[in-house]
Amino acid sequence: MLKKTDPEIVAFLCNWCSYAGADLAGTSHFHYPPNVKVIRVMCTGRMNPLLTLSAFRHGADGVLISGCHPGECHYMEGNYLARRRIALFRKLLGFVGINPERLRMSWVSASEGNKFSRVIKEMTEKIKQLGPLGLEEE
Amino acid sequence: MDNEKLIAEAKTVLLRGDIVGIIGYQKDSQGFRVSPLFVRDERDIEKLFFSPLCWLSLVNYLTLEKGRLLQKGNPGKKAKVALMVRGCDSKALNQIIIERGLSRDEVYVFGIPCNGVIDLKKIEKMFPDVQGSAQVSENNGFYHVRCNGKSHEVPKEELIADSCKHCVSPNPILYDVLLYTPIVVKQPDYRDIEEIDNMSIAEKWEFWREQFSMCVRCYACRNACPLCYCDDCILERLSPQWIYRSVNMSENLIFHLARSFHHAGRCAGCGECERVCPVNLPLMLLNRKLEKDSKELFHYTVGEKAEQKPLLATFNPQDPDDFIF
Amino acid sequence: MAVVPSALVIGGGIAGIQAALDIADAGFKVYLVEREPSIGGHMIQLDKTFPTLDCSACILTPKMADLGNHPNIELFTYSEVVDVNGFVGNFEVTIKRKPRYIDENKCNACGLCEQYCSIEGADPFNVNLSKRKAIYMPFPQAVPACYVIDPERCRFLLTHDCTQCVEVCKKGLNAIDFKQTEKFETVKVGSIVVASGYDLFDPVLKPEYGYQLYDNVITGFEFERLSNASGPTTGDIVINGKKPKDVVFIQCVGSRDKTVGNEYCSRVCCMYTAKQAHLVREKTPDAHITVFYIDVRAFGKGFEEFYDRVKLEGVKYRRGNPSEVYRKGDRLVVKAEDTLSAELVEVEADLVVLATGMVPGKGTVEIANLLKLSRSPDRFLMEAHPKLRPVDTPSDGIFLAGCCQGPKDIPDTVAQASAAAAKALIPLSRGKVTTEVIISFVEESICRGCGFCVEACPYDAIMLKQIQQNGNSISVASVNEVLCKGCGACASVCFSGAMQQKSFTDGQLLSMIAALGEQYA
Repeated sequence: MLKKTDPEIVAFLCNWCSYAGADLAGTSHFHYPPNVKVIRVMCTGRMNPLLTLSAFRHGADGVLISGCHPGECHYMEGNYLARRRIALFRKLLGFVGINPERLRMSWVSASEGNKFSRVIKEMTEKIKQLGPLGLEEE
Repeated sequence: MDNEKLIAEAKTVLLRGDIVGIIGYQKDSQGFRVSPLFVRDERDIEKLFFSPLCWLSLVNYLTLEKGRLLQKGNPGKKAKVALMVRGCDSKALNQIIIERGLSRDEVYVFGIPCNGVIDLKKIEKMFPDVQGSAQVSENNGFYHVRCNGKSHEVPKEELIADSCKHCVSPNPILYDVLLYTPIVVKQPDYRDIEEIDNMSIAEKWEFWREQFSMCVRCYACRNACPLCYCDDCILERLSPQWIYRSVNMSENLIFHLARSFHHAGRCAGCGECERVCPVNLPLMLLNRKLEKDSKELFHYTVGEKAEQKPLLATFNPQDPDDFIF
Repeated sequence: MAVVPSALVIGGGIAGIQAALDIADAGFKVYLVEREPSIGGHMIQLDKTFPTLDCSACILTPKMADLGNHPNIELFTYSEVVDVNGFVGNFEVTIKRKPRYIDENKCNACGLCEQYCSIEGADPFNVNLSKRKAIYMPFPQAVPACYVIDPERCRFLLTHDCTQCVEVCKKGLNAIDFKQTEKFETVKVGSIVVASGYDLFDPVLKPEYGYQLYDNVITGFEFERLSNASGPTTGDIVINGKKPKDVVFIQCVGSRDKTVGNEYCSRVCCMYTAKQAHLVREKTPDAHITVFYIDVRAFGKGFEEFYDRVKLEGVKYRRGNPSEVYRKGDRLVVKAEDTLSAELVEVEADLVVLATGMVPGKGTVEIANLLKLSRSPDRFLMEAHPKLRPVDTPSDGIFLAGCCQGPKDIPDTVAQASAAAAKALIPLSRGKVTTEVIISFVEESICRGCGFCVEACPYDAIMLKQIQQNGNSISVASVNEVLCKGCGACASVCFSGAMQQKSFTDGQLLSMIAALGEQYA
């Protein structure tokens, strides 16, 4: 079993906006830390907050959910639904002693490759400060 | 609380013919215990009662199986049942009806405004070795306890169930007949939640680590909860497997967070989960935290209206977004 | 499910007419529903059109006639769409026909009834600048060429004490029928084109311009009717009985204006003002004509050349948005800052024409609700993608044509209408619809029938249905495979895990998450 030395961030990216934005970051050579591991979903509306809990349990120190800007969701409302659920779930995480800063969302559109790399940099910094969560060892 | 009206209504109900039975409370012959009673004919009616000892939700019996409450000898035909329902129970029942788990015409509701019930563990600790039956009534902030031939006056706070301390819905929000006078509603009080919220992250983690390390994953809380009535609970399934079999911190955390999150915008606050937990986990803290946040962030309260859209299937363009890059 | 080989067009202006003709010419049946008693929209009210100075009615009426005679088009005029159900390929539409009180099959538009009717009222066709009778034909070239009775003015309908028109028509055709009532008809169509058009900004919302305060301040549309040979003044530009010597045009009234909530540019006003300035020059060669503008947008084919021509005709363009129009005797004064010469000017005028912008048509909100269409921030109907899908809506099978989607001129409207028709023809000509593959599905044995997924779905693609299970009748969710677009919002709200999205099931996502953490396990 590998001992973790670097924080791991699992990012759930929506297919139409954020995944394309992340792709653009890659093709445009906007550098971002390699700590992020991407799972593609069609829409952030698909994100059941319990999936983030599963990510934490499997070793993620931070989870990012990134979707289209409000009003621009490819499926009209998915990002609004995700925003409400994650807002509520973060507070519950904070209540049981998991720093809510470990679960963040971002709005990254398909043309915002630069923003994506900034978001990952900022989040990685923050998670480094917070340290490993360590749920996978419990 | 006199039981005359209850018995009279029960008699009328059984005479109607369309109601196959009444689910209510009966006093055990021993000690402070209370059991559910299934009345199918007149002989059992006299046993029905209600007192502050009724620390039990009867709503769960309605959702035990999907095709529930079939008439005997008449497969496929739904039966109507009468049920004794306290304030919190009515919220649970209302939520089940909104979710089409039951239809309103399947239940005849005896509404019981309830001023709080007694935690059995607390009263048994205070009065051990009770011989024969014991009675409790409430008067002006005190419980009048009669057992072993003696009477005792005990302040309510010492015996009342923890989940009843924060009750803001003592009066049933739906009923066919109201058995007692409505009770003045208290203002919501979330100070105990705020106290925990104000602890540091590390302190909170330690608090809950201590709690969850006691959890043996007996699933009693899931079984007792009136709103946990999924036929195939995701926390039991192997495919997909949300939670592993091991009883340790991470799986226990997932179990409890998943269960309480599933009740966000649905929890009726009946406290059954706390009642049945063999290791006395303060599970209502999680539910009430979600209740507080739903109210403050999304202005959503369970049972405010008879028909309400689900909290997590709706949104407001003005929902908070301070956590979004 | 087979696609119904017909289409619905909502709106009978130039956009609706063009779309209907294209679909009908392709061999499919079209139902065209128009709210007014005749098709023609606003275009039929215009005088000459820019930049060619074609007479609007002259180029429109042949299309209207084609439409009226087309074997594939069923025309519902004086009608409204009241209900739409179903989905692409199988829409069910309910149309309400308002009663004309005149039998369309009998009326031959002889006009005798109109001569004998004694009730007069303001004529909205001429922007209330003239009068029409209670029994009227909207305009001489109306399609269908049939009279109609205004129920808010007719004495028989209001107080039962006049039957003049009936007496007169009895002698011939007996076409008047006061026993008519509202009729509802349901039709099935495969696609829908929305062409509900525009309305014009009401300049009372800009009180500084004195509209309705001074009767020599008029809107661009009122100018069209004055200039039109079939209008209230038979084409002469006369105000208060006199030909104006000094005419001032003010552009951008109600457009590019945050104070009235219309930030957008209405696209047509610069050109129609240039055209109207030209018409004034033509009809009153020695008039002084000034146009106050912020920018001149002459972007289309022939537009810049036309604008140059108009300037050469001596129309003075001054850059500045006037702050006020006030009265001086029986004349007006327009006060503005000419930003290019950096001076405050006060121009005297006999006539001030306000180039009012476009706003979404009256029926837009109702149509949007009926068809569950979104509106863009400018309140026009929203297209699926502003660049790549300008005639589609996010709802399959419903398309947009013309100004209901945003302000535009006639050439662009016609182009968009044909585009919408082409798109509308795709499901009709293929006979089948292609659906999304990563849709949601329900495991019925687990489904609790709680209906949370129904609430969460943005496309109304899920409903609850009753099934028999173990001898009981229970309700479970059911996904409409044509409507489901595969977002997964339903799957994430389902507690029991019964609702899953193909290719993105909980099991699949959990496996991916576990795989990422494998090295630490």
